[in-house]
Amino acid sequence: MEDNRNINIFLNPVGKNVPRIDGRGLVTGQTKFTYDINLPNMLYGKMIRSPHPHAIIKNIDTSKAEKLTGVKAIVTAADTHKIKFGSNEFFFPHTVDQMPFESEKVRYIGDEIGAVAAINEETAVEAVKLIDVEYEILPAVFDAQEAMKPSAPSIHSHVRNNIGLILPVNFGNCERALRESDYVREDIFYSQSAVHACMEPHVCIGQWEEFSKKITLWISHQAPFKVREALAKCLKMELNNIRVIKMASGGGFGGKLEMLPMDFAACLLSKKASGLPVKMCYTREEEFSFSRRKHNMIYKLKSGVKKDGTLMAVTGEVIADGGAYCSYGPTVLAAATMRIFMVYNIKNLKISGYRVYTNTPISGAIRGFGGVQSGFSIESHMDMLADGIEMDPIEFRLKNITGPNMVTTNKMIISSNGLRECIEKVTEASGWKKKYRKQSNLCRGIGIGIAADVMGSKMYKSHESAGSIIKIEEDGSVYLFTGAADTGQGSNTVLSQIAAHELGVDFNRIKCTSADTEITPFDTGSFASRVTFISGNATLNAAKDAKKQILEIVADEHKLDAEILDIQAEEVINKDSGSVVMSFSKALELCYSFNYGKQIIGRGSYNPKTTPIDFRTGEGNVSGSYGFEAQVAEVEVNKDTGEISVLKLWDAHDIGKAINPQSVEGQIEGSLIMGLGYTFFEDLKMQNGKVMNSNFTNYKVPRSVNIPKMESIFIETKDPQGPYGAKGMGEAALLPTAAAIANAVFDAVGIRLKELPFTPDKVIKALKEQELNDI
Amino acid sequence: MRIKLTLNSKQQELDLNGNETLLEVIRDHLKLTGTKSSCDEAECGSCTVIINGRSALSCITMACDCDGASVETIEGLSSGDELHPIQQAFLDKGAVQCGFCTPGMIMSSKALLDNNPKPSHEEIKRSLDGNLCRCACYQKIFEAVDTAAKKMA
Repeated sequence: MEDNRNINIFLNPVGKNVPRIDGRGLVTGQTKFTYDINLPNMLYGKMIRSPHPHAIIKNIDTSKAEKLTGVKAIVTAADTHKIKFGSNEFFFPHTVDQMPFESEKVRYIGDEIGAVAAINEETAVEAVKLIDVEYEILPAVFDAQEAMKPSAPSIHSHVRNNIGLILPVNFGNCERALRESDYVREDIFYSQSAVHACMEPHVCIGQWEEFSKKITLWISHQAPFKVREALAKCLKMELNNIRVIKMASGGGFGGKLEMLPMDFAACLLSKKASGLPVKMCYTREEEFSFSRRKHNMIYKLKSGVKKDGTLMAVTGEVIADGGAYCSYGPTVLAAATMRIFMVYNIKNLKISGYRVYTNTPISGAIRGFGGVQSGFSIESHMDMLADGIEMDPIEFRLKNITGPNMVTTNKMIISSNGLRECIEKVTEASGWKKKYRKQSNLCRGIGIGIAADVMGSKMYKSHESAGSIIKIEEDGSVYLFTGAADTGQGSNTVLSQIAAHELGVDFNRIKCTSADTEITPFDTGSFASRVTFISGNATLNAAKDAKKQILEIVADEHKLDAEILDIQAEEVINKDSGSVVMSFSKALELCYSFNYGKQIIGRGSYNPKTTPIDFRTGEGNVSGSYGFEAQVAEVEVNKDTGEISVLKLWDAHDIGKAINPQSVEGQIEGSLIMGLGYTFFEDLKMQNGKVMNSNFTNYKVPRSVNIPKMESIFIETKDPQGPYGAKGMGEAALLPTAAAIANAVFDAVGIRLKELPFTPDKVIKALKEQELNDI
Repeated sequence: MRIKLTLNSKQQELDLNGNETLLEVIRDHLKLTGTKSSCDEAECGSCTVIINGRSALSCITMACDCDGASVETIEGLSSGDELHPIQQAFLDKGAVQCGFCTPGMIMSSKALLDNNPKPSHEEIKRSLDGNLCRCACYQKIFEAVDTAAKKMA
């Protein structure tokens, strides 16, 4: 009997490869994504955008467009309250700097001035062309370092030298530590801009309801409750008059984490068109040019080590090109400068981060949150420090990494930490000892990169709570309501697994409704790898609550103590005697019987124990727990063509506990490949503020033929705070990929690549320089 | 103009202006929204359907050129509760993340297996070169196609 239960993946589903709860709909094409919805009398909206990177708006004349047949509504800033929205309101209120529609000034090519709704997309596009906007063109600046000069044009009047934010991190005594070091080196690393390029472009449908003065917005999004909050603020409405419904979402990766002006536009246009629904869909070109992009960063580092490998001090400067508005810039910059504390046990650190406005598309959140740029820079730099003292890079890292149950210099509280085991396991699996420094005759090399990540970071509220409700009806159907937004990572499945496991019922009983602001509990959203950890705990608590309610009734009926009862594998059991009291189905019949008539509604809430970060110093415990990983890349360099082939990637990941191993592997592999794309070819090219490669032909993303061999190794440290010990893990594997490859290239052919992406021309150039140096 | 085509084994007669793409006809006229649109310029494979046994990008196929053709979309694969072995394999192997590329990916896989029932790993990789998956679920997709091929053999 027990054996049969074990092979049933739907009973006790935690730790098993349960197929996606929404999988059948997705493989049959039946699942409705936002743009698959067609409402009666629906209109199509298009944004009115600036063609100039920097200009004053003198006049907007919409009269010609209004006369075009089929045009139903035009909105501009005159239809708004001119209230700004932003992404880091709580910690950085002064960075809230973007209007739904600009009325005085435009700051990038594509800056939103208004929107048009018409009976079809063609008419809307036509109408946009008929709108006359008179501009006074201003000098523009496109490079972050240029923008920081006093002579540069001022993009926002409230800041000096276009520096939107300075984050100084300063601990210990770096000057002294550098003096006491045996080896000090300085390096500069360059990371390019990139985009999310979700397969599903941004899309939403807004509908105003005249009689109730209410707005419904159907949207593909990572944080629907944040959308609701921003809409309420900027449209001066009550939260409860706005309903945001997240539909099936075709990827997010940070790109669907905040508002775009199109979301305001859909609502305002519908209101102006007397409640006709308005659909707004980005084209692929708009997606590349006008959504959000990765901050291109310059990372300057100067660090010192002792001969024995002790990392004495890390100092430096980070310049992040933020584009026209702040977006998630503050937290991206914070992550880029402070993430090192989770990885290295370092006492002396001084890094100043600058987020700089330029007249380019807006930089924001993207998977890794600044950690990809810093991961490349720091992990390359660490390898070079180890090389400088002729120490094995693995040994160097093992000497300096953080460990379990420690408080970092900046007061992060680390409980479980499997970083050491990750490094050991990945070294072993990759055959490091047999390969390192031993394959240069074949132009082959092996390199390592390590990383850590948060699971949650308070970004727009003072708390970071998630809520879950579980209702169980008399037929034993279990309904899970979670605020968490599944954008494809599989959170609906993982949360349902947690619910079924804790309730002791078959996974197939669960129906999951998620991320509808009117129906589900609040959740801050899908970002910072937080959902499994935070929303998972909320769901676990809801399941415990529901189970307790059922067991109390069974105990009452059988005159037993509820404490000795449990539900396991669809049966209520007496834990003391091991006997079956009744089936789960019978227990629910009992709850809803003549005598009891008790509805089973479990509720759960979870807010991780953290302390706010003091952004003046970088001190604080941002996350309830921390995740770790180590990665090894093996490469072969073609010295004639400059091409780098990745032979294999190994990734050992401290995930706490794999709730769904297949999904965990999917996240790791997806991260590795996204990291690979960024390392070799993803590069958003801009010229005078204009995106030059706004399609998949000119902006390359990884395709099936680019996929190398990959191996994922799970390190299950069973985090004391995690649900069943699980931690978040959707981003960390992306962070050190570029560095692992750069370090492998050094091992292979002795060149150091400090500028991403590693295109063949850069490899050839570095090889030529090496030849000249050798002469 | 009027054309006749077989869509998922059913005869369809369509009144067209002549400038519609097959994708527009499938999604907007016939309301079959399983076929996705992501780039609209033949770069991503999300709109892949099968025309006369070969995979084709419906976003750059003119509907009027499909007169007399047999067209298969994702909606034609499963019958009742039973999933097609490729769909089942995608589900079992975890080859679906956000699922937006999935219909196109499955149609390309079907075209491959219909024409080459025992593809090598390299052949699977190469035949899916035109289908982008930004979740980068590729390794699991290769496994799913391989599993389905073995099941269908």
